[in-house]
Amino acid sequence: MKRILIRFNEKQVSEPIATEVLIEHKVPAAILSAHINSKGGEIIAEIPDESLDKIVEAFRKRGVLVTVPKLIDVDSEKCFSCGACVALCPVEAISIDNDYTVQFDKEKCVGSTCSICVDACPVRAIKSIKPNGGNHALNSKVKKI
Amino acid sequence: MSNQGRTRTIEEINQKIRSGDVQVLTAEEMKKLVESSGVEVAFKEVDVVTTGTFGAMCSSGAIINIGHSDPPIKIDQAWINGVEVCHPGAAVDLFIGATNMCKKQPYEYGGGHVIHDLVAGKEVEFRAMANGTDCYPRTSIKTTFTKDDINQFQLLNFRNCYQRYNCAVNSSDEIIYTYMNKLLPHLRNATFSGAGELNPLMNDPDYETIGIGTRIFLGGGPGYIIGEGTQHSPQNLDGTLMVKGDAKKMSPEFLRGASFTKYGTSLYVGLGIPIPILNEGLAKKTAIRDRDIFTNIVDYSVPRRDRPKFGKVSYEELKSGLITIKGKKVRVSSLSSIKMAKKVSQTLKSWIAEGLFTLTSPVERLPTTATFKPMRQTEEIPFVVSVMHPAVTCTEDEEIRAIAERIVTKSVNHIVVIDEVGKLLGIVTSWDITRAMAEGKTALSDIESHNVITAKPDEPLEIASKRMAQHNISALPVIDIEKKVLGIVTSEDVSRLLGR
Ligand code: SF4
Ligand code: SF4
Repeated sequence: MKRILIRFNEKQVSEPIATEVLIEHKVPAAILSAHINSKGGEIIAEIPDESLDKIVEAFRKRGVLVTVPKLIDVDSEKCFSCGACVALCPVEAISIDNDYTVQFDKEKCVGSTCSICVDACPVRAIKSIKPNGGNHALNSKVKKI
Repeated sequence: MSNQGRTRTIEEINQKIRSGDVQVLTAEEMKKLVESSGVEVAFKEVDVVTTGTFGAMCSSGAIINIGHSDPPIKIDQAWINGVEVCHPGAAVDLFIGATNMCKKQPYEYGGGHVIHDLVAGKEVEFRAMANGTDCYPRTSIKTTFTKDDINQFQLLNFRNCYQRYNCAVNSSDEIIYTYMNKLLPHLRNATFSGAGELNPLMNDPDYETIGIGTRIFLGGGPGYIIGEGTQHSPQNLDGTLMVKGDAKKMSPEFLRGASFTKYGTSLYVGLGIPIPILNEGLAKKTAIRDRDIFTNIVDYSVPRRDRPKFGKVSYEELKSGLITIKGKKVRVSSLSSIKMAKKVSQTLKSWIAEGLFTLTSPVERLPTTATFKPMRQTEEIPFVVSVMHPAVTCTEDEEIRAIAERIVTKSVNHIVVIDEVGKLLGIVTSWDITRAMAEGKTALSDIESHNVITAKPDEPLEIASKRMAQHNISALPVIDIEKKVLGIVTSEDVSRLLGR
């Protein structure tokens, strides 16, 4: 399974694009999270590997932005495997291996739409990444004084 | 082959450490050896067992002496990297408390981080103010320093190494942030702390070898036990230690500043104690397993000294990641690092094996009986139960008109909707009723709200009052754990008692 982020703009949200694409290609996709309002929205979906290309293609044809996001960043220098984040994760993306080292499965994580673990890390080793390139928007606003 | 009556002395062990013949195992290895070969063999073969724990220990801090400025200053108030440090003694002696927070970055940066930064060799910003005296005329100072610039830098922790700790859950409807970290509503997660079978005190629960003067692993360097910790409660298996060590010799890997969201800052401390296996009894004690160590599952949503408990659980279950509470599977994870606890015990083992660390006999034993008293309080604080009164109720099949009459005759603003056994279903206010009548509605189900904010009888009234303000409402039905309605508390009750 591959996780993709589908972003709709204001115009596209009123059309049932996601349903159309998935039905048309008969792909069993799991919707991990959906945040949509009249101004636009984001859906994070899991797509079987073999259908990935055609689905991405189909969305892009309709003018929808599709990316394969990295949703979480864990600073392995900082993390000391306390375990505080583990039981909080709703999709079991965090686990403890035999050696008591905490491991993140970045493919499973649903990212900034969840972020439950982020403020539970006592050494602030976890950052959730805004998939919509939030940093870029920030930079354009920041002016040097 | 029996070891009966045979013992070993600390001096004998130290001889072996010096000659490189010492047999030292980590607590983890010792347990395996006892299980496979028995206590007799383990006693014969093993001289020392190393233990370890790595947890957030809030009652930690450091004493520093920063030297005299010219002209000199007798510090009154001081800050390091914006964190207030206290001034408990002479002119330039200061104490950095792990839980003091930087006012500009509360909950994110605090005394624990300052200690970590200093240990890591970072430069810190220092600021102080004073009244000015004839001998110490200066009234303010600003400078920077590293650990190499200051005189003493001693870690001084008055409660470390809790023998075991609670397992925390939250039965309320909202996320709570506690010193046991983030607890999701409806028992959706559980947290615990402590290293279980690796914990030093669990491996010598009678304090046979652990006492004042015992040399230990502290924060990556050598340290000493200087007494029992505050709240030491050994009979309940809640022993604690007071320890000190030269922080200049410690390592930032084993002392970590910590931030607990909406709670505060702290310091993770790595602490390990070597247990000399002086007799067969100690070999047996160091074989203790996680399955033999139990702790309480405690409901942290009730902000009282004695919080309700959901039974007991073993460290074996806790470390498995899944526990069962009232028939429900709950995912659990630790706050203290078991990986680092193991690393502490392994590092201490290698120090001893390499002849870098010898053992000490305690000069005095720690108390094995002590009671931990609650605070003497001279003022009573009100609880919900002391002001709540019977709720005016109705059932879901009643007509709005009937309910309206009840509101008038009983002269109340809130009617609590209950089922046939008295459990909470919803709430309606006089305002809902008035509007419904104006709109010609007759069925209660059209106006009743099901998302009811409630209170528990044993909650402090203050907390219930805050909840009303937060949700902008004027009454809370009081319910028990089964959701049975016990009464109601209103904002008038609160203002009558708390005068607001
Ligand atoms: S952000 Fe959410 S899904 Fe991702 S690891 Fe953290 S808790 Fe799990
Ligand atoms: S809470 Fe932070 S330090 Fe602890 S295991 Fe998770 S990422 Fe690592």
